[in-house]
Amino acid sequence: MSSARVLRRLKDVMWVLALAGLVVGVARFAFGLGASTNMLDSLPWGWWKIFNMVAGAALATSGFVVAAIIYILRLTRYYPVARLSVLIGFLGYGSSLGALIFDIGLPHRGWHPFFMWNPHSFLFEVFWCVSIYWGVTALELLPILTERFPFPKVTRFLHEVMLPFVVLGVTLSTMHHSSLGSLFLASPTRLHPLWHSMWIPPEFFISAMGAGVAVLVLFLLLLSYLYRAVFEERLIQRLATISAVLLGAYLVIKALDLTLHDKWGYVVGPQLTWESRVFWVEIAMQAIVPVLIFSLPALRRRRGLLALGATSALVGLVMHRLDTGIVGYFTSSQAVYFPNLGELVLSFGILAAAGLAFLFLIERFPVLRGAGFCAQEGSPSDPEGHQPVPPWTWGEARELFLGAGARRVGMTAVVVLPLTWFGLRGQGTSAFQPLESAVRPAVQSRDAMRTTLYLDANGNGDFVTFPHEQHQQAFVEKYGVELEGTCVKCHHLSLPNDRQTVCRACHQDMQLATPMYRPENHAERFEDEAQRARFEAFDLDDPQENFAACMLCHEESMAGLTEYAVKGFDHRAPGFVTAMHGECMTCHRLEERDPADPFSLGNCIGCHRWTPRGEGQELNMLGAGEEPLPARIIEGPVTIPAK
Amino acid sequence: MSDALDSAVRPGKAILTDTTKCIGCERCVQGCVQQNRLPRDVPAKFKSNDGLSGARFTSIVEIAGSQPETSRFVRRQCMHCQEPGCAAACLVGALVKRADGPVVYDAAKCIGCRYCMLGCPFSIPRYEYEQQLPYIKKCKMDETCRVAGGGPACTSACPTGATVFGPREELLAEAERRIAERPDLYLDHIWGEREFGGTSVIYVSDVPLGEVLAIPTREELEARAVPSLATDSIPHLLHDWVMVAPVQFLGGLAGLGALAFLRRRSRIMAEKRAEDGEESR
Repeated sequence: MSSARVLRRLKDVMWVLALAGLVVGVARFAFGLGASTNMLDSLPWGWWKIFNMVAGAALATSGFVVAAIIYILRLTRYYPVARLSVLIGFLGYGSSLGALIFDIGLPHRGWHPFFMWNPHSFLFEVFWCVSIYWGVTALELLPILTERFPFPKVTRFLHEVMLPFVVLGVTLSTMHHSSLGSLFLASPTRLHPLWHSMWIPPEFFISAMGAGVAVLVLFLLLLSYLYRAVFEERLIQRLATISAVLLGAYLVIKALDLTLHDKWGYVVGPQLTWESRVFWVEIAMQAIVPVLIFSLPALRRRRGLLALGATSALVGLVMHRLDTGIVGYFTSSQAVYFPNLGELVLSFGILAAAGLAFLFLIERFPVLRGAGFCAQEGSPSDPEGHQPVPPWTWGEARELFLGAGARRVGMTAVVVLPLTWFGLRGQGTSAFQPLESAVRPAVQSRDAMRTTLYLDANGNGDFVTFPHEQHQQAFVEKYGVELEGTCVKCHHLSLPNDRQTVCRACHQDMQLATPMYRPENHAERFEDEAQRARFEAFDLDDPQENFAACMLCHEESMAGLTEYAVKGFDHRAPGFVTAMHGECMTCHRLEERDPADPFSLGNCIGCHRWTPRGEGQELNMLGAGEEPLPARIIEGPVTIPAK
Repeated sequence: MSDALDSAVRPGKAILTDTTKCIGCERCVQGCVQQNRLPRDVPAKFKSNDGLSGARFTSIVEIAGSQPETSRFVRRQCMHCQEPGCAAACLVGALVKRADGPVVYDAAKCIGCRYCMLGCPFSIPRYEYEQQLPYIKKCKMDETCRVAGGGPACTSACPTGATVFGPREELLAEAERRIAERPDLYLDHIWGEREFGGTSVIYVSDVPLGEVLAIPTREELEARAVPSLATDSIPHLLHDWVMVAPVQFLGGLAGLGALAFLRRRSRIMAEKRAEDGEESR
């Protein structure tokens, strides 16, 4: 495949990703973070923050490293990659900040840290440095735009004032790349010791610079392939050497860190955990492989190996940041986080959008000036590499927004947008779904509805054994009704077609009242229009008016409810615990025979006693000839019997 | 050093929980739910299994024993650290330790970055992930919790006196008194007295609580190379690195600025020399 075709395919893929990411982004704001991501209370920082922000910023360090080399050290031989590296920095940071808009809970308050200060926070430092640095990179890039427009004075002025801003940008970068690591200093007891160290700040700083230069090498290789751009071979080799030095320094620091903090036991030795293996893969990809390739001239002269080394450094750095920010917390949190498809699509969609912006600027603006670069295939680049940039025309804008490329994007959108929306159901584009109720249903032993139920209204695992069948038989004797007629003694039969609705159907929360009865639906059944109008005149949200509304028709059956006449109806089902207490204790108090007996019906431990857990171990509370279980009586501190 | 990092033990109110007295009835949970008008605790995939969530500020965790009688119940809640990691983490200062005890949250400042959740060694702050506009939720222990008796709803609701509210020094003295009185029953340790610089919620127990409360032992801290946390706070541990930032900023500007200036001048000089050389030739 020719490089032009590869480029077109690459752009197609990027548009698909970017458009799909747009869909997930909309869903994230429509449905909230809980519905669209896999983030947890115990692992609150997910893929977007660690991959896009922490790793993304680290991979965009070439902007400040090359700026420092060229503008501060005045090593002009790196000039051909100056604008390219600043552009990588600008778009890299832009995509990181873009991901944060989706990640933080209240992005409309993103400006708060400018005015509400907590200088003790590392995140505060990161926020200030990153936002100002991003502005600096934008300023450093402005000449690229102004050179295509007729503003030569602006261009000259920008070149004049650039140096102080470069110094500011480099300073801010040294600060926030170490602080991005300091963020994780805050969990010394939660992050695995392999990744938590008081040396995180320098480790993050050095490894970010090394990986950033490796990424620049990768970009140079990619551009020479896609656009036949000609970069001086010695320049690429020199950059690879710089990366090797930085990554080698990282290896040394990490080894010193493990030695001085006595942590080799986590890396080698008899008691290795899965974290140790992850660490080995990570350090091999992040530093060992790239250092090997980059430092041996015989290896790094081969383009394929050079690309392999740079890719390894990139993937290894991402792994290191993910391990430090997410994976290292798994063991202490006793939880595992893996991003869902939607999170990944949005994450790579943002990167794809940044990539499209990158290609756009590369093709139409003088980014690679001095790199022997020709954007239009077939047009020769002059040997000096100073291809003049044609000035901007309106025809170009028209072609951009109405041309064949734009139509192609539009058609892609028509396919991708709905496909993503429906394809990622449950993976980012559907509304929040609660899990099944945490309140456990009564565990039914042997034969449903006949013998003993275990009631666990507050879900704490301690059951009250409820002998259902024996209650039925007791009702038969006491009230002289048929077995069928006993249900109504406890079950309210207040739901349509209710025969034996389980209690938790209405009493859903263990402690709190749950909205249950909708009088509006009830009103639909009115046949008398005048009566319905009178009913609807009441404010049903007001408990007393609600009571009066019921009285319209049910005066007779409600005559005894004097208590409710005062406090009204709020048509809410009480919490499961309250309901169970109300239901059982009302009768048990009446049936109380010997209040002095702690196991009698009216006393708490008549029902609440320590019971075996789980099915198959039920006990028969009312059974004749069985010893009652020892009750647990609370009087002061409980002594523990010796095991 | 600033006030926020003053390691002197603060006065102020605290809560003492005694697991030997807790029967696990969850009346504290119920009291908290009613006082704070908390919504239904909708079960969700992002909630932890310790019972705390955006809708529950306190919970009862069971330490299962071999026999029912040897099971113990531990109330989980915000520890209200003397020097809270969450407050040091929050970039907008939405979390603040108040002099009278509680660590309070200002929802109006919060931007939802969830760094407090990472910065809390006990993983206490929870997030309303189900909301479109989510906030951090955690135990407040401030005026809004107080009921008629003067204490928070949770301690007031406790039927066995397993969790009590009062000035921290008095509760520490009470905890020591209980341990001295029944050395056969209690373990000789007050969880929260010193760990992480001390917390305003302290525990006495007859079974080790380190695991359920996420308070590591001294040995575990040494294995993690942060032994100071047995008596000192996380903000203290990080303080030196925090102070690096301003030095780095001013030093970087001055150093890099000077370097840039010198290199620029030498380059200009060199160019001038080259021109002069050409002219003289």
